Order: sequence, then structure tokens, then C-alpha cells
Amino acid sequence: MSIAPKPHSALLIVGHGSTQNPDSSTPYFEHAEEIRSRGLFAEVHCCFWKEEPSMRDAIHLIDSDEVYVVPDFISEGYFTQEVIPRELRLTGPTTVRDGKTFHYCLPVGIHPSMTGLLLARAREVAPDVDPSATTLIITGHGTGLNQNSTKAIRDQVEHILKSGAGYAAVCDAYMEEQPFIAEWDKLSPTPNVVVVPFFISDGLHSYQDIPVLLGIEPDVGPAASQREVFRHNPHHLRDKQLFYSSAIGTELHIADVILDQVHDFDQNHKGA
Amino acid sequence: MRDSTAALLEAVRSGVNRIGEISIQSFDSNDCFKLSHHTDASLAALPDHGGLETFEGPSSARQISLFSEDGEYRFLKALRNLKRGWVMILRSCTDLRLALDQFYPAALGMWLSHRDGTLEIENLREKLDRQTGMYRRAKMIHDERAQVLVAATCASGPGCARKILWSISPTQPLIPSPASTCKGHACTVSPESTIPLLCASPCNHFVAECLVAAKQQPATPTTP
Repeated sequence: MSIAPKPHSALLIVGHGSTQNPDSSTPYFEHAEEIRSRGLFAEVHCCFWKEEPSMRDAIHLIDSDEVYVVPDFISEGYFTQEVIPRELRLTGPTTVRDGKTFHYCLPVGIHPSMTGLLLARAREVAPDVDPSATTLIITGHGTGLNQNSTKAIRDQVEHILKSGAGYAAVCDAYMEEQPFIAEWDKLSPTPNVVVVPFFISDGLHSYQDIPVLLGIEPDVGPAASQREVFRHNPHHLRDKQLFYSSAIGTELHIADVILDQVHDFDQNHKGA
Repeated sequence: MRDSTAALLEAVRSGVNRIGEISIQSFDSNDCFKLSHHTDASLAALPDHGGLETFEGPSSARQISLFSEDGEYRFLKALRNLKRGWVMILRSCTDLRLALDQFYPAALGMWLSHRDGTLEIENLREKLDRQTGMYRRAKMIHDERAQVLVAATCASGPGCARKILWSISPTQPLIPSPASTCKGHACTVSPESTIPLLCASPCNHFVAECLVAAKQQPATPTTP
């Protein structure tokens, strides 16, 4: 999918950010830089919940009168439905305030094109394995507080199963709710297992928590053991061959998903 | 529609040469720019940049500003611990703006809005009252504790270089302290040559500190 250039519009990518993990906001800036390099928008900016610029300050970055706001989040939930609208003072899909028109797009994680990215990441991390002898696990945090976060992953599992990718099994698993990622071997009927974290950023969950639950790391080590954890595939554990990927949001093609959400907004709300 | 890039170019041509800890130098008939830590400005002015690590274009601005000299993660970009030893060459004012927006996010726009009289100031109570989720309890912080927190948090460590424009509430101004009297620019440079760093609303880090303090404080405020 491609979008027509919007030389008089700004794109505002909204992320979570972190005061602890310097890698947290890296994907957002990379996605912004990629889109900026294509010259589709007059301006491309990022703003964050936990870092600077804040969502409230973001308006000071923007000159354009029309702004597309895309949450670079994996699911609909507390942040996309409550925090972002509140901080940006959005009242619906389109909000006019302070002389600007804001279009609020859906979060990247729920776009159908995420399925292709997950499959590409799975192939990239385990290029030589036979899918028919492989289980693909999409893993997330999971919390009883927000059913939407697990729904996004369950939807992706359904899409992958229907895609004809040929995996012997595809399933969802979570850190804090069933099915637990710690039981990845019991969830996998095959000798090969590929695990892709459904997060936007690599952080403590993908660096430390999930590797410990998988058994790759013996214990939670010092903060942010960084990307080394992704560089030792395959892992031979529990009589299986395990391949572990970095967070799906670090995929540069998320930039295309952001543009897909802008495209879909225009289709659904502007009749473009 | 505002043109921030044109406003920045006009400001630099009118003598603005500093923002936060960064020195802005013009060359090639004022169409190209060099950024460096202000303490490296004389080296940056040399043709060979005096051994400073040279970066072409704005794309490294985030990486340069991500960690302090001693490796501390700078999630607050206005902390006075920007690392030294680099110079950034920018071939257009568009690139200059991109770089400054990464070194000091939204500072240019806030300054332009402040200059135009359109910068909206939000006091601490307004900010805390609209918090939800885990930060909802931050609003329980007493005014007296919040005053102490401004002095302690905003000036802690290297200190934040932003000029605080907000108050605790409409009737409760900040009490004088190094944090509340920060001018948003170094006292060694003239205000006319500087883009000031402004703080129009308590940052989310300060809200998080309010939450911690609110949980620790006694149920009723102590009488000073």
C-alpha cells in the first residue's frame, strides 16, 4: 500500500519511551527517519509518554495545519484510548484545535500488514528451518487489566494460520497470563521453535525477562544486557532447537505500517 | 502557518548563537552551521575542528545526546551534562532545526510561541489533576512537599537548564530556589543571543516524582 505525498501535513509518531532504557525510543526515531527520507510529509516528528518531547509539548514541534497522529503501539488500550487523546486533546478521529486539524489513526500493531512483518521476522531469525517442523510463538506481556493487548496477538496468530505460511503450529504465549511463554516447549509439538516478541521496542522484557522465562539466560542479569541475547541462535534447550527474535517493532518496515494506518485513516474517514 | 525554520534562520542571522549547552556557529555566508558543546566552540571554529569528532548532518544528534560523559542515560535533554568532544556540520537551516529538535526537543517551538505570547502555561495542580492510572495518586501531594520537590528534583545532579514558567497553583507561586529561578540560559551569555529552554508544564518525570512523594507523605500536611 502506498500513500500520496502530503506536502502540507505533518506526521506525529507517538511512542511510550522510557526513563530507564535508552533503547526504548530508538525504533520510533528510526521509523520517523525512514519516513522523513521518503519526503511524503512536510514534517515528521516523534513524541512520548515517558521521554521528551512529551505529547503535550509536541504541538510546538509542528508548523503544519494538518497533523496525522499514529500511535506506534502494539494494541488498542489504555494508552491509545485514554492517555494519547487526553494529552493531545483529541476528541475523536478528527479534532480541530489551536488552528490545526488532527487526524487520529489506529495503532500500528493492529494493522493487518503486521502479519507479513511477523512472518518475515520469523524467516529471518531461522532461515534454514523447515516450517512444517517448526512452531511459531508470538509472545507478549499479557495482563488481566487489558484484554486488548492479548487480542492483538491472538488476531495475528489467526492471520498467520490462514496465511499458508506452512508452520506446523502457531500460538500465542504471555509473560504473565496463560498460555505462559515459560512453557514454550510444552506448547510446541515440533523440534524447532521460533519466538517473536510482539513489542514495539526491545527493553527489559525482550532483553531479560523473556530470555529467563525461555531458559536462555539463567537469571535476570544487570540492566539492559542489550542485543547480545538475540545473537546466539539457535539455542538447544529442552530437547528442542529454539530461535529467539528481537521485538517486532524494531523492524524497519514498521515505517510502512505507520503509512498504512495513515492510508487507512484517509480511506475510512476522508473518502480518499 | 508558522515557519519555524525561517524563524530560526532569522534568529541566527540576528545574532542567536546558543541554546542550552550548544554553541551555534554560521559559515558559508550564514547558510551552513556548526553545532558543538559551547566549551568546544573555539575548536569547532577551526578548519580541522581541532580534533573534535565530526558529524555530517543532523542524524547523529540523538546519539550524541543520549548519554552523558559518564555514561548516564539522559532521558531529560535539558540536563546540564551534554557530552563534549564533537562538532556537527549542518548544510541547511532545515537540518539545523532537525538537529536542535533532537538535542532540545520542542525548545525552538516553545520559544517561538512564548515570543508570540501563545505559549500555554500549565500549573502543577492542572497537570496532576488530569493524571489517570498509576499516576492518579500523584495529585495527593501537598503543596509544601511539591515546593520542596521542585527545589530537589529540578536542580538535582547536573540540574535541568529549563526556565520554569509554571506555579504550583494559580495562587501558589514557586518559592525561590536555584531551580525556580533558573533563567533558561547560561548567565554568562546575553538573553538576546540565546534560545532559552522553557518549561511550560511540569514534565512527566516530575509527575512520577510527585507520585513517589505523595505515597511517602503523612496523611495531612505539616504546618511550616
